[in-house]
Amino acid sequence: MAEKSLKEAEKIREIVGQDLLGGRIGLLLGWEKGHYWWQSRPLFAKNEADLEKLTWDSFCVINLSRYLLEELKEHGKVGVLVKGCDARAFNRLLQDNMVARDRVVLYGLPCPGMLDYGRLNEEAGGALISISESNGSVTLKTGTGEKSVERDQVLMKKCAECVYPDPVVYDQLLLSPQGKKEGVERFKSVEDLEELTPDERFAYWEGELSRCLRCYACRQVCPFCSCRECFVEQDNPRWQGRAYQPGENFMFHLVRAYHGTGRCIDCGECERACPVDIPLQELNRKLIKDINQLYGDYEAGVDAEADPPLLTYRPDDPAAFSEK
Amino acid sequence: MSVGVKEKAAGWEPLIVAFCCNWCSYAGGDLAGTSRLTYPSNVKVIRVPCSGRMNPMFVLRAFQRGADGVIVAGCHPGDCHYSTGNYSARRRLSAFKRLVEFAGFEPERFEVRWISSSEGDKFAEEMTGITERIKALGPNGKMRDARWQKKA
Repeated sequence: MAEKSLKEAEKIREIVGQDLLGGRIGLLLGWEKGHYWWQSRPLFAKNEADLEKLTWDSFCVINLSRYLLEELKEHGKVGVLVKGCDARAFNRLLQDNMVARDRVVLYGLPCPGMLDYGRLNEEAGGALISISESNGSVTLKTGTGEKSVERDQVLMKKCAECVYPDPVVYDQLLLSPQGKKEGVERFKSVEDLEELTPDERFAYWEGELSRCLRCYACRQVCPFCSCRECFVEQDNPRWQGRAYQPGENFMFHLVRAYHGTGRCIDCGECERACPVDIPLQELNRKLIKDINQLYGDYEAGVDAEADPPLLTYRPDDPAAFSEK
Repeated sequence: MSVGVKEKAAGWEPLIVAFCCNWCSYAGGDLAGTSRLTYPSNVKVIRVPCSGRMNPMFVLRAFQRGADGVIVAGCHPGDCHYSTGNYSARRRLSAFKRLVEFAGFEPERFEVRWISSSEGDKFAEEMTGITERIKALGPNGKMRDARWQKKA
């Protein structure tokens, strides 16, 4: 681990420690090292011993805001470490009235982007033992030697395409801001798919979605999927059949994506959590792209006060169907 | 080749599901009937309280259970019985139409039309129009549930 991130972790621990041990918050949501060195899992810190485990490195990818839904049931006031995407996720939950702003303390962490273990391995070309980071480059240690690569090359896909690395909402900013990223090409793969004929596109999605296990991990991590009862679990009417049918896969994925129209913050957690690598963000981004094109630019989660496009209308709205 | 793409069999007739708003389009259909205008019997009308009542899952379920085309008909924007239902529907269904097209459905398979209660002729015209377009396009196998059987 890089020295810089150790120093940053120390600073974070010190500041949140004052609040947690001083009793201002009952619980702190952060990250700790998981079973493997390339995983950081959520940490639910309640005391000083828990706080010792707090980590801030290049694998803290898990979105912590989503855990608030459960934790606020048990704790009066909860502190959360938020990266750019987590902060937008928090705004999303706030707009859905799923969390109370005054019961949450947000510690903002401007995020340099998280690293993708798959890509690290690919670059290393052998069994990866550990990595170290300094000034925008990553050194990969394998059994046979060392190799240095640019940090940008081994970022997670969702982080490489991230527009808001800085938290948009926080009570206290713990690190120095990264600045908004310009010129990010998010819609390239959507545009490529739009070029295909309907039958080709259907065949593409049929292939991709055929891998779906219906584990609903994408829903489970998603900050816009905060309904207490999800349509996939409703029994009457039973919208989502359990059978292994192409139509049932489409039903789930189209409706899941559609429920995020104007609400998806494009954090990419769904795609990361997917065990079979379905390109879920392409569906989400198609809706983001179209809703922006039809009803004006809107970035979900950036401003909790702005009306989401599907919750409002103008009498002179355009329509996507041939008749206005 | 995808199971979703089907050949046209001899004597095939499309099944069109029309979701009609109670206050305008359903009454428009009534007017078409009382005016003795004809439209194809391929169209099966389902009455909904308002086009704003449309749950996109209605449309997907129709495709799963045998529909070759789906049309949603509501009041003209500004004429909604509930004031704003069709304004919301316009935004929602626009996004949804783009999404089903993105998933691989032909644009003709899912349409939205505004038909008022005095437009019996327009109702008949639109229903004839979508039936003809779907007839030209052929049967839909996309999203079709393999267990679905056409009733004899």
